[in-house]
Amino acid sequence: MSAPRWRALACAVLLAALPACATVTLAPAGPYAVGGQSVTLGRSWSDISILLPGRPKNVRLLTIDGPLLNRLYIVDGLADGRALASPAGKDPPTPRWRSDLSPGEQVEFVADSVAAMGYQRVETKDLRPARVGGVDGLRFNIAAKTTGGLDISGVAQVAESGGRLFLILFLAPTEHYFGAQEAEVEGIMSSARPGG
Amino acid sequence: MTRLAPALLAAALLSAAATSEAWARSPTAASRPDPATDEGGLWSSSDRAEAEARTKAELDADPVLTGYVRGVACKVAAEYCGEIRVYVMDRPFFNAQMAPNGYMEVWSGLLLRVTDEAELAFVLGHETSHYVHHHSLDAWRAARRRANATMALSAVVAVAGAAAGAGVGGDAAARTINDSVNALVDVLYLAAVASMFAFSRDQEAEADRLGFARAVAAGYDPSAGARLWRALQAEAGHSDFPTARTEEAVASVFATHPVTAARVAALETLSNDRPAGSTDSGRARYRAAIRPHLADWLRDDLRRRDYGRTLHLIDRLAADGEDPGLLDYCRGEVFRRRRGDGDDARALAAYRAASAAPDAPPAVWRELGDLHRKAGQTAEARAAWAAYLARAPDAQDRWLVEASLKALARSGQP
Amino acid sequence: MKPLALLAAACLALAACTTTSVRMAGDARAKAPPAGARILLVEPDIDVRLLTAAGMLEPRADWSASGRRNLRAAIATVLETRSHTVVGLDPDTAMAGRGGQLLRLNGEVGRSILRFSYGRPALPTKSGSFTWTLGDGARTLGRTYDADYALFIHARGSYASGARVAVMVGMAALGVSLPLGRQEVFASLVDLGTGQVIWFNLSTAGPAADMRTPEGAAALTASLLRDLPL
Repeated sequence: MSAPRWRALACAVLLAALPACATVTLAPAGPYAVGGQSVTLGRSWSDISILLPGRPKNVRLLTIDGPLLNRLYIVDGLADGRALASPAGKDPPTPRWRSDLSPGEQVEFVADSVAAMGYQRVETKDLRPARVGGVDGLRFNIAAKTTGGLDISGVAQVAESGGRLFLILFLAPTEHYFGAQEAEVEGIMSSARPGG
Repeated sequence: MTRLAPALLAAALLSAAATSEAWARSPTAASRPDPATDEGGLWSSSDRAEAEARTKAELDADPVLTGYVRGVACKVAAEYCGEIRVYVMDRPFFNAQMAPNGYMEVWSGLLLRVTDEAELAFVLGHETSHYVHHHSLDAWRAARRRANATMALSAVVAVAGAAAGAGVGGDAAARTINDSVNALVDVLYLAAVASMFAFSRDQEAEADRLGFARAVAAGYDPSAGARLWRALQAEAGHSDFPTARTEEAVASVFATHPVTAARVAALETLSNDRPAGSTDSGRARYRAAIRPHLADWLRDDLRRRDYGRTLHLIDRLAADGEDPGLLDYCRGEVFRRRRGDGDDARALAAYRAASAAPDAPPAVWRELGDLHRKAGQTAEARAAWAAYLARAPDAQDRWLVEASLKALARSGQP
Repeated sequence: MKPLALLAAACLALAACTTTSVRMAGDARAKAPPAGARILLVEPDIDVRLLTAAGMLEPRADWSASGRRNLRAAIATVLETRSHTVVGLDPDTAMAGRGGQLLRLNGEVGRSILRFSYGRPALPTKSGSFTWTLGDGARTLGRTYDADYALFIHARGSYASGARVAVMVGMAALGVSLPLGRQEVFASLVDLGTGQVIWFNLSTAGPAADMRTPEGAAALTASLLRDLPL
C-alpha cells in the first residue's frame, strides 16, 4: 500500500471511515477561536476535530492524550435541529438541539448526547448556575462508564444565545485524567464568550 | 496438508457426514471439549467473551433480579441447570444470546417486553436449546464449509490485521506498524465474537420447538411463546421508522432473533396441540421482579427515540393497571421529547393522569409546572412547582425551579 | 514442500521476520534497578488462531494456552536471570475496585499509545518525549501486590495452515499477494511508584519466534523485551 492509503486506514480505525485524512493541528495556549466564540486555553491541546464522524459544523474536539483519555468538546452555536453526536451507521437518530429547550432539557440533551457517543450509565449531578459571557447558563458534572467498565467523569457548561447552543464539555477517565485537567477546563469555561 | 485439492475434498466429505440433526450434548459428560478441536476453540473464545461480560458497565448488578432470572433458567434448563450461567445486561433491545460454553446474556429490553414468567421461560428454554444442541458449533462448521467452498478470501482475513501482504514500495515499516495497530485494537475482533451468536433460520425454528417443550415440561403456559413473538411483531408495526414496519421479519437491532410469521404459526400449532393444562404465568411474580428497574429501563428505551415503539410498550406494561403513576409519567416523557403537533397537550394530559396515582415520581410536578408556564397558566404553574419542591427537597435542580418561581412572581402575572 | 521451509522462504522474501519498535521514557535507562525489583507479571493476553486456506480465523484454545504458558515462562526466566522477583496476576480475578479501574485504564493507555505514538496521525501534544501515565493510583496496584513494576503482554494473530501457505504460493505465482498470517505482540512496563509507562514495545513475530513452542517463545521474548529498563 502506498503512503496515503495506510494513512487513510489508520484514520478509519480511529473513529469512522473517512475519505481523506487531514492533519491534526496544535491548539497552542492562548486564545482559541471556534467560529464566533472564543475561549482561552491555559495550555496547548491537540485539535482532533477532523476525526469527528460526520465533521459536524460548529463542533471542535480537543485532546491532550487522545480521545480515550481526555476529550474537550467546544460547540459554537449549534443550530436548532442539529446534533452533537453522529449516529454510527444504522443506529437510531441522535438527540437534536432545539432552540426552546428548558434548562432541564438542555442538561438532558447533553446527557443523551454523551449516551449516544457510546458511554453507559450516564448521570448528571451538581447542577449550578454559570455566567457565560453575558448570558445566564448552567454548569453540571457527569458520571458515566465506558462499555468496558472504566469510570468516566465529565463537566459541562451550557449557554443558549439566539436559540443556539454554546457548550463546553470535558470527558475523561475518573482515575487521574479528569482531575489532571479539571482546573484547566474550569479556566477555559470561565473564559468562554459566546459569539453572536 | 501440503496439497490443497485433497485437503478440500476431505473437508467436504467430513462436513457432509456432520449434518444438522439434533445431536444433543450429554449433561453427564465432562463438558469442557479438547482445546485442540474447533469446539475447544469456540469454547475458549466464549470464555474470553464471558470474562469481558463480567467487567462490562452494562452488567446489571441487582442480585434479586439476577437471582430470579437464573431461577427460571434453572427450571427450564432442568438437567443442564448447572452448566448455564445467566448474565442480565442493561441494553434497551429485545435480545438474549447463548454462547457454546454455557454463558447466556438476557438484555433489559427483553425483560421489559416479556409480560410474565411463562414468556421468560420460553425465551430461556429457547436459548438453552441452542446450547444443548450445539448450534454455535454447527453454525461455525457451516460457515467454514461455505468459506472453503467459495474460497472467500477478503472479508474475514481483515479481522485480525493479517494483512501483511507483500506490497511493492511504500513505507513498509509504517505500514507494518499500522497493521499491527489494527490487529491489536480489539474493536476489529468484535466482528468475530458477534458471529458466534448468529444462528440460521432452521436453528431458530428448532430452538423454538425445543424451547417450547422445555418450558411446557417445567409447567408453563404453552401459549406463551407465540404470544411473545406476536407482541414483538405488533410493537415493530408501531415503530417510527418505516423499515422496521415493513420488514416481514422483525429483527432486533443485533439481528439475532428475526421473528417471522412462520415461526409464530409453528408455535401456535404446537400450543393448540396441547391440552389446556397449566396456566401458570407468574405474571405478578414477574412484574414484582422487574418493578425496581422499570424507570431506568424505560428511560433507556426512550433514548432510542423510537417514540411509536415506546408508547406501544408502555401500553402493554399498563395493560393490567399496574404502576400507573410511573407509566403515565413515561407517556408524558415520550410526548415531551417527541415535540410533535399537539404533543404538549398530550404530555399535559399524561402528567396529569400520573399525578393522581400514588406511585408518581416527583418529576411529574416539575414537568406540569413547565407545561403550565408555557401555556401561560401561571397559577397552575406555581402550584405544580411548589408541589415538586415539597416532594423532592433534595432535587439537584431545586434552585432552577425556585428561580423559575421567582421569575414568574417578578413578571407580575396573577 | 515442508511448511516450515515454505514459511522461512516467505519470511526472507517478505522481510517479515521478528520486528520490534521500542518507545521509552527519557529517564528510564538511568533509573533502571540493578537487581531485586518485584515485577507484577500480568497474565499475558493471548489470542492466536488458525488462518485457513479460505481465509477464516479459527480460534485455537490450545495454541493460545501454549503461547500464554510459554511466554509467561520465558519472560519470568529473563527477569529472574536479572535477579528480579516475579509475581503473577490473573487480571480476571482483579477487575473489581480501584485495582480494576487501573487495569482498565491501562488498557485505554495502551490503545492510545498504539494509535497515537505508533499509528498515524500523531498528536502534537505527545510529540517529542514518550510520556504516558496511569497516574498516582498505580501505587494502589503496587501496594496490593507488593510490586515495583507491572509488565503487560498482549498478543493477537494467526498462523497459516499448510493449505493456506500452498494457496498463497500459488496465488503469488499469479501475481496476487495473500496475507499469510502473523502474530502481533505488544508489551508495556509501568513503574508502579509513579504510574508512568516507562517502556513499550510493539513487535511482529517471525516464524522463528513461534510462541507455541518454548524455544520459539524464548526467541520472541528476547526480541520483545529488547531495551527493557530492568
